Amino acid sequence: MSNTAGALSRTLGKFLRRSVGIVLSILAGVFVGSLIMIWYKQNPVEIYGQLLKGAYGSQRSLFIGLQRATPLIFTALASTLAFRTGVFNVGVEGQFFIGAIAGTYVGYAFQMPAIIHLPLTLLTGFVAGAAWAFVPTLMRQKLGVSEIVTTIMTNYIATFLISYLTNYPMRADPTTPDTPPIMPTARLPQFIEMTRESANPLGKGTQAHLGILVAVAVVAVMYFIFKRTKIGFEWRMVGISFPFSEFAGMNLDRTFISGMLVSGGLAGLGGSVEIMGVWREYKNLFATGFGFKGNLAALLGGQSILGSTVAALFYGSMEAGALGLEWSAGIPRQLIDIVVGLIIFFMAAEGMWDFVKRIKWARAPEEERRTTQELEA
Amino acid sequence: MTLAVEMKGIRKVFPGVVANDSVDFAVQEGEIHALVGENGAGKTTLMNVLFGLYFAEAGSIQIRGQPVHIRKNADAIALGIGMVHQSFKLVPSFTVAENITLGAEPRKGIFVDREAVRDSVLEISERFGLKVDPEARVMDLPVGVQQRVEILKALYREADVLILDEPTAVLTPQETDEFFGVVRSLVAGGKTVIFITHKLREVLEISDRVTVMRDGAVVGTKDTKDTDVAELARMMVGREVLLRVEKRNAELGEIVLRVDNLRVRDDRHQIAVRGVSLEVRAGEILGVAGVMGNGQRELVEAIVGLRPAVGGTIYVSGKEITPLSVRERRESGMSCIPEDRYVRGLALPATIQDNLVACSYYKAPMSKGPLLELDTIASSAETAIKTFDVRTTGKDVPAFTLSGGNLQKVVIARELSSDPNLLIAAQPTRGLDIGSIEFVLQRIIDARDGGTAVLLVSAELDEVMSLSDRIVVLYEGKIVGTIDGAHATEQGLGLWMAGISDEDVEEEAKEAAHV
Repeated sequence: MSNTAGALSRTLGKFLRRSVGIVLSILAGVFVGSLIMIWYKQNPVEIYGQLLKGAYGSQRSLFIGLQRATPLIFTALASTLAFRTGVFNVGVEGQFFIGAIAGTYVGYAFQMPAIIHLPLTLLTGFVAGAAWAFVPTLMRQKLGVSEIVTTIMTNYIATFLISYLTNYPMRADPTTPDTPPIMPTARLPQFIEMTRESANPLGKGTQAHLGILVAVAVVAVMYFIFKRTKIGFEWRMVGISFPFSEFAGMNLDRTFISGMLVSGGLAGLGGSVEIMGVWREYKNLFATGFGFKGNLAALLGGQSILGSTVAALFYGSMEAGALGLEWSAGIPRQLIDIVVGLIIFFMAAEGMWDFVKRIKWARAPEEERRTTQELEA
Repeated sequence: MTLAVEMKGIRKVFPGVVANDSVDFAVQEGEIHALVGENGAGKTTLMNVLFGLYFAEAGSIQIRGQPVHIRKNADAIALGIGMVHQSFKLVPSFTVAENITLGAEPRKGIFVDREAVRDSVLEISERFGLKVDPEARVMDLPVGVQQRVEILKALYREADVLILDEPTAVLTPQETDEFFGVVRSLVAGGKTVIFITHKLREVLEISDRVTVMRDGAVVGTKDTKDTDVAELARMMVGREVLLRVEKRNAELGEIVLRVDNLRVRDDRHQIAVRGVSLEVRAGEILGVAGVMGNGQRELVEAIVGLRPAVGGTIYVSGKEITPLSVRERRESGMSCIPEDRYVRGLALPATIQDNLVACSYYKAPMSKGPLLELDTIASSAETAIKTFDVRTTGKDVPAFTLSGGNLQKVVIARELSSDPNLLIAAQPTRGLDIGSIEFVLQRIIDARDGGTAVLLVSAELDEVMSLSDRIVVLYEGKIVGTIDGAHATEQGLGLWMAGISDEDVEEEAKEAAHV
């Protein structure tokens, strides 16, 4: 009984410590951001007020935040999975767009009922992202090339490949390099599309769509896999320690390959969801940075599945707020990017402090490592 | 008699741990003072305070009667204190002379005066009878000589008080004897030596006085001539200690492990195991003795499957396992207590439960299909914690919160829970306190009595001798001798460990007879 209480208070304590760290980092980021704003002769109080209003001030801003957060949840999960399994997937960005273009193709090239078309398009995105991640995986397994280098490079290859595809084989419009629109059966409905006729239309003036439900489902599945399945256990252990996992008899090749493929698959799934919900056709380079923002959200969320989901939602609403700021006050949204960047910087600095303590601890002589627990016992 | 060092009321706290609590420690000028205690007793912390690596929260230090403030390492060195750490701090690619003078080189303008460097090194090395070749590269030197370089480094910085932290841990018995000669010549040259160790026989052999620490406090200081091993052990542990492990005669069964002409490369691709053949039967402990670094690590890793063999075959219960993966080998009944429990043996940030289940999570009853059976895993973890007396607040705390002894218990609980046919135990008691050592050794004997074949690889000669039914000695990757546990003597094994085989001895005897 006291044991359970102890475990509970420890978990709570850990959560509190972590929260304090996050809050302090946010405050530090906000503070340094204010200095920059003052430097530019802006009133920080007003700007932050506008930012919060733009992020959380109305139903519309909440839905914009949701729409912005949806792709980030996928890329944040992809990054988190890679971090946690000890894989360096710096190719989330490329995998996202490959998933998007593959989803687009399946979305416009086939005619079939929505009940098949929707899942097929989603699946295509996942498979395409995984396939794109398979190239670096193969190079690492067969040739011993570091996946850090190859996943970065495949981002560029993805960009140029898609540029070619949208300019030539998949081009629909003679004036702009866009693909044909995807079939209605492959579209994830937007909230406004579903509720336009009703008395209370949801998400008016936004493109927030049901992809958020797909994202939530994926979060739940990933959480379950990590906590409850054998492969999840293997991923966790390999992510914590290669030498230990090898010694315990785990197959490091298998966890590496599966971790990389699922990470790439999640990114690709995010790409197809973004097409199916928001864009409905592939406009060449409709936006960029999903992979990198996802990466940041994963860091912000402490590389836990739930944490990075929350961080992605936060990041999405901050983007919504920045958008509002740009419209209403003419403040460049890059200013907000700076603040978010600062917050992450301070969080990373805090993480670094932990890391330093850990290293010091690991290097300390045995007698220093004993804990109160042991002494109490 | 003047006191070279007097520390009073030293208190040093690490987060959550009081490593030193009002410790008084005094060393007379010109003596060899042994500082003993179990691992974790606070010996090294106390000496790190003296050497300026830690700053104590409370307490005062006097050097030769003068109160001093040692705030940093350089202060201690300026006061004539030198320390030789357990793990040497040398630059392998530099020469002996370069290492000794590093950071305090004689200069000629902006250049290092190489001749002056060599001369001054030769001068001290002659003065104290510590023979070294100033031009040799440190990486080419045996451990014993590297240690000499470390001592010279301290002497070059004009240390009067030399702290030696577990200096004999890396030496053969013969090297130890030689090393004791060096220590005596230091004292004869007017130096004071503080000798940290947990080997009580060395204390009796070399020291003038001895201070015993336990749980961060000093238990007492004795004149060495007035005490004995039993008393010191009692002071260290706080109770009577079993110095010899009780075990009954071996009941030998089938051959479980057979290694045939095994050849293995080390990390630098040098052949480290050169044609080792051995057999271990069920119910038998085969001890592999030898100075660390003579192929033990590679031998164990090759048997467990972490390192490929470049030649030879390994059989477990008659089945060849050479091409099999680690898991397949474990499936054939092999378990292993690895040499490095912090790297191989445990995932420190993971929970105790995860560490306990890491070798069995994939099969019934711990899982069913792709899903883990979390309830079964939890209850088996709780049972293991109870059975193996792991001192922890719960199964869900990260492993790194445990002490060394309790961590090893986690490893042993996991590795013995599969009821193995074959147990490879590599340095199973390294870095543990006496209480934990006893526990670990008893578990190994229990496994053997239960019919497990045990391959015990250890650098602790005592351990090998008291546990093994048979002993082989590994030297430079080869087995230089085999003997029954009952007939083994420290001298005999020591000769083998130094690479002197029986044939050499016989030849020498013959030569002597001819002359």
